[in-house]
Amino acid sequence: MTTAELADRFRGKSVVQPGEVATPGASSPRGGSVSPVHQGTWGLAPGRTLSVVGPPGFGLTRVGLAALADQSRLGPVAYLDVRGWLCPAAAWEVGIEAHRLIVVRCDNPVPWARVAATLVSGLRAVFAEVPAGAKEAQLRKLAMLAKTHRTALVLRPVHGDIPAGVSYLRLEAAGVDWAGAGDGHGRLEGRRLRFQATGKGVRGMTTTVEFEDHGTDPLRVVSGLAIAPAGHAIG
Amino acid sequence: MWFPDWRLRRPDTPSGEPCQVVDDRNRVIACNEIAATAGVAIGMQRRSAEAVCPTVVTLASDPAAEAIAFEPILGAMEAVVPRVEPTEPGLAYIPLDGAVAYYGGETATAERIAKELDAIDIDGYRLGVAVGPFSARQAALRATAANPIFIVDDEASFLASLDVSVIDHDDLVATFRWLGIRTLGEVAGLPREAVVSRFGTVGLHAHRVATGEQRRTTPRDVPDDPRVTELFDPPLDNLEQAAFVSRSLASRLIEIAHDTGAVPHRVEIDVEAADGTVRSRTWRTADPFDEGSLAERVRWQLRAWLDSVSGGLRGGLVRITITPADLSGTGRQLGLHEDAASAAEVDRALVQTQALVGMDNVLQARPQGGRDPLDRVSWHRWGEEPSTLERDLDAPWRGRVPGSPPALTPPEPPRLEVEWDTGMPVRVRLGSRWEPVLSWAGPWRRMGRWWLGEEAADRYQLVTSAGAFLCEVRDGLAYLTGVYD
Repeated sequence: MTTAELADRFRGKSVVQPGEVATPGASSPRGGSVSPVHQGTWGLAPGRTLSVVGPPGFGLTRVGLAALADQSRLGPVAYLDVRGWLCPAAAWEVGIEAHRLIVVRCDNPVPWARVAATLVSGLRAVFAEVPAGAKEAQLRKLAMLAKTHRTALVLRPVHGDIPAGVSYLRLEAAGVDWAGAGDGHGRLEGRRLRFQATGKGVRGMTTTVEFEDHGTDPLRVVSGLAIAPAGHAIG
Repeated sequence: MWFPDWRLRRPDTPSGEPCQVVDDRNRVIACNEIAATAGVAIGMQRRSAEAVCPTVVTLASDPAAEAIAFEPILGAMEAVVPRVEPTEPGLAYIPLDGAVAYYGGETATAERIAKELDAIDIDGYRLGVAVGPFSARQAALRATAANPIFIVDDEASFLASLDVSVIDHDDLVATFRWLGIRTLGEVAGLPREAVVSRFGTVGLHAHRVATGEQRRTTPRDVPDDPRVTELFDPPLDNLEQAAFVSRSLASRLIEIAHDTGAVPHRVEIDVEAADGTVRSRTWRTADPFDEGSLAERVRWQLRAWLDSVSGGLRGGLVRITITPADLSGTGRQLGLHEDAASAAEVDRALVQTQALVGMDNVLQARPQGGRDPLDRVSWHRWGEEPSTLERDLDAPWRGRVPGSPPALTPPEPPRLEVEWDTGMPVRVRLGSRWEPVLSWAGPWRRMGRWWLGEEAADRYQLVTSAGAFLCEVRDGLAYLTGVYD
């Protein structure tokens, strides 16, 4: 799908061309202020923790996995699956090769923290779903462990939220617009995901970040502060 | 010692029907006479084989079960010679240096081995006797059912007469043929420097094979005691635990060997049972063992010993020792960004994770064909060889839901409340609230295998302001089969 087609599908919403700078002060669809950013790669630097918060259906899994795709070129990525619901095709589509993805299923909250710590201390990139009973101290220790071992860590609570200060960047689902499906015709083709970003990764300012997801391509950020120059990971 | 049809010697092999065995890449690795007559050949793709012989019965290879069945034969061989070195199920190398002197010649030794096999009612074997492993393998390939023993008297002329296709490198063979070189003798006649200069390492290997210089060990500093040992108290008698231990031991041994830049081509596995019984087996490979292949051999062997078919180990295992031998410098080439330490660190972490959550919960997946998102993923345990894909990835799969699959797919689809108006979805209940359906696509009809009792179902993509969902409608009831998260 070309950018023009995409702009047409998302009528009334700006689409930033590769290499372009968004207009300073432009408004997001929700009315929040959008800061100028360059088109670039979405990725999490080693040692950083990203938390993605919100109900299922807002693209949290794909955004979290896409953040680890760069790290998967250097070593395996582990997905700690609390619900047992992950479809690995989502990881393959964001650029994580099949032989690089390890799915660890652990629905028991008791050993969860130990399993997560083992993975964080041994692998370069870990996506951990957080069960309902996980304690704040455990999450803080995990984030510290990730920093010590230079592991890129994504935390996604199955219920509730991640305590403030645990993650370097926190993305909270704000909305999703789908394109492609009609009233009984077409199919889901692309979507635009909106998140409220907070934390050190956005210099402490609450910012709206938008992603475009074309399904078979890696995600790209179309606006928001949480983006580094092309070729460099965030953070 | 080679059994050409070993992979077909299993209880589910049909008699009187064409039959083939395929590996995890859907490549034919064995077929019976009927299938071969119909045009099936080893190395063919499964689909091609089924095209030339539509009635062929296809079986998936199970190396672990084949190794267990091979164990009694190895045990019988050890009555003749003290050490037998299996390479894969159905193929083993038997060092004859001492046995030839003891039994009075190569022919007498081979006949003694054949007699031992006959005594345990095993037929269909081929015995190739030669100086080196490569020649012996080629000799076994040339033995027939009528004359199962092939003894190479003159190694040099035997090798010289072999066709270049025995070199396991298709491109090199094609180039040799294009140059008019048809036999190994002609390859051996080329100056080695010229072959290396033109073809590199592959050419050097081919020239060494052609001149009878089979793999040599590289003299290097090897640790004084490179063996790894694990003691068990209480004794280990569980196959799952055995698999776990085999992975851990293989990891340790390869790590020790890597420290010196060496890799083993042969390992000796020793175990001690609780009743004091000691058993030993040597495994060999043409390519150096890596962690995965070594762990696989150790697991096969432990399974074979623990399995009651081969007598078992009374009281379980109290000790396992793996001793590497035949170390060479042909190590594993890591990727540009990889380093051995981090790879070992990953393995250690995943082995620990297996211990915490169980082997069935540390998984890897491969894409395969299918109509539903769950069907399109083939799972296997981490560290184990993936099984054969159940569904062809390249088949058209009419009726599949198009586009990207949902990121979350519940294994047991829960009920989803959907309100319909004249066949069109209007609202969907998410938790305690009803969300209007903004747009929708479908239905995609899946007929289901009615002969197996599967019901037909219609799949819909529903878009709400809270995300998009894949739902399936069966018997008037909707189920949530995926969340586009």
